[in-house]
Amino acid sequence: MSTSDLALLDLGEVADAIAARKITSVQATEACLARIDSWQPRTNAFLRLDREGALKRARAMDAELAAGKRRSALHGVPMAHKDLYYRKGEISTAGSAIRRHWRAPFTATVLGKLDDAGVVELGFLNMAEFAAGPTGHNVHFGHCRNPWDQTRLTGGSSSGSGASVAARMVYGSLGSDTGGSIRLPASACGVVGMKATYGRVSRYGAAARSWSLDHVGPLTRSVRDNARMLAIVAGHDPDDSTTSHKDVPDYEAQMAGGVAGLKIGLALPEALVPIDPQVGAAVQAAADALGRLGSKIVAATFPDFTALYRAAEVIVKSEAASMHRPWMEKQPQDYANQVRTRAEAGFFIPATQYIDALRLRAHFVREFMATAMEGVDAVLLPAIPFPLPTIEETDTEKSGGPATLAMVARFTGLTRPFNTLGVPALSLPCGFDSNGAPMGMQLVGRAFEEGLLYRIGHAYQGATEHHKRVPQ
Amino acid sequence: MDDRTRTAAGISEQLQGLKYDEKRLAEIAAELAILNDAVRKAADQRLTFDDEPAAFASVMERGGK
Repeated sequence: MSTSDLALLDLGEVADAIAARKITSVQATEACLARIDSWQPRTNAFLRLDREGALKRARAMDAELAAGKRRSALHGVPMAHKDLYYRKGEISTAGSAIRRHWRAPFTATVLGKLDDAGVVELGFLNMAEFAAGPTGHNVHFGHCRNPWDQTRLTGGSSSGSGASVAARMVYGSLGSDTGGSIRLPASACGVVGMKATYGRVSRYGAAARSWSLDHVGPLTRSVRDNARMLAIVAGHDPDDSTTSHKDVPDYEAQMAGGVAGLKIGLALPEALVPIDPQVGAAVQAAADALGRLGSKIVAATFPDFTALYRAAEVIVKSEAASMHRPWMEKQPQDYANQVRTRAEAGFFIPATQYIDALRLRAHFVREFMATAMEGVDAVLLPAIPFPLPTIEETDTEKSGGPATLAMVARFTGLTRPFNTLGVPALSLPCGFDSNGAPMGMQLVGRAFEEGLLYRIGHAYQGATEHHKRVPQ
Repeated sequence: MDDRTRTAAGISEQLQGLKYDEKRLAEIAAELAILNDAVRKAADQRLTFDDEPAAFASVMERGGK
């Protein structure tokens, strides 16, 4: 198998090939490095690449395997992650100028879990400054560019994760999601992204955007890959008191069984945001495909999310203002304007409003369960409601006018609710728009039912080819 | 400076020790009015004395119930 062929395998295939000693971790790592050499100039997905470190680690993983030790189902697999995960003693920029040279004092729990699992770390990836932007723009390190069309945005804030997985530079990547930051780049780049249940994955050592709404999760090429990666990083963490003690299921095993007999609610919630006909048709086609596989498709009705959207803004702004206060006082010029101004209102929100916004969350969840989720196993809806815009069209630093800001706000209209609700949401590709850019859909379920979403997504990918297409 | 902006100026300078120009204060005041009004109304409609923020984690553990 040639180096370029190796890079085109998905995570599960390469992990299984390494385990069977058909290929080595070094060969897989070299294949990724060759892809990075080819795609980094076009995408700007990587902020730092540790070529020698990755090869050294791959050699060590090969040696362990030769000695009969396989650490996990990810043993020897090369990955890279959003540059907000801390690794002790190493730079972690969070995509910001402020932390351009800052070194982390400890290692993120999820990176520790991937280390223990035998993953090879290639480096760290581009992202929106302090995870505070949904498009993939970054004025400090350069915008990340979509592998499918380098004039178009990648989505953010996990921009480099989406781009690097799509361009087959890595087999998997950790992103983080406060209002759509895993699911938007997954949708925009044609890959799979899971925002798991709040509390399913530790946030310890992931630079925060909003403690209450941040979710850590994987981006991969297929649903199966995603299930495998989530199973490794999920679980209780004493260093993150918001993590659940619930057992982590074998998500790959839960994918079996197909969708026959499941009831899926289809939502094209025009009342939340206008949905472009191309996107609506792609999601409808996905529903039809799931129907042909034996699931029953019914219409899902969403509650009025107006109060939920505002409560989420209150939470994000209050928490961001609190954590950024020292820098916003002393070096406000080091932020992009849009990043700074989005947090400023947090200094003015009364504590009672912030606490009420947190108190409302349980009510919002119950209302969602009693409406959209009533009588269904999962809800299907678009991820991004319109065809992918260009980087230029959505550049709020260059053109911060009302039309640009409104477009950026609509961009997250269908992803933000599920951070406040805390329920799992899986984004996966469902087609390509008339510009040739990917379109994505979301599957949303009940808390801790990630396995069911993987089961539906896996069945869909078994019947479709969108996720197999590779940008040229 | 209208009343709303003047209130924002007071919070900024007297409570937070931060300085913003009048134009920015007016923008922030307008943004705050929308956010606070929506949350206050939602709270009036839904919250009772016994609602606490930690209820969210319990609802998650119970699968959304």
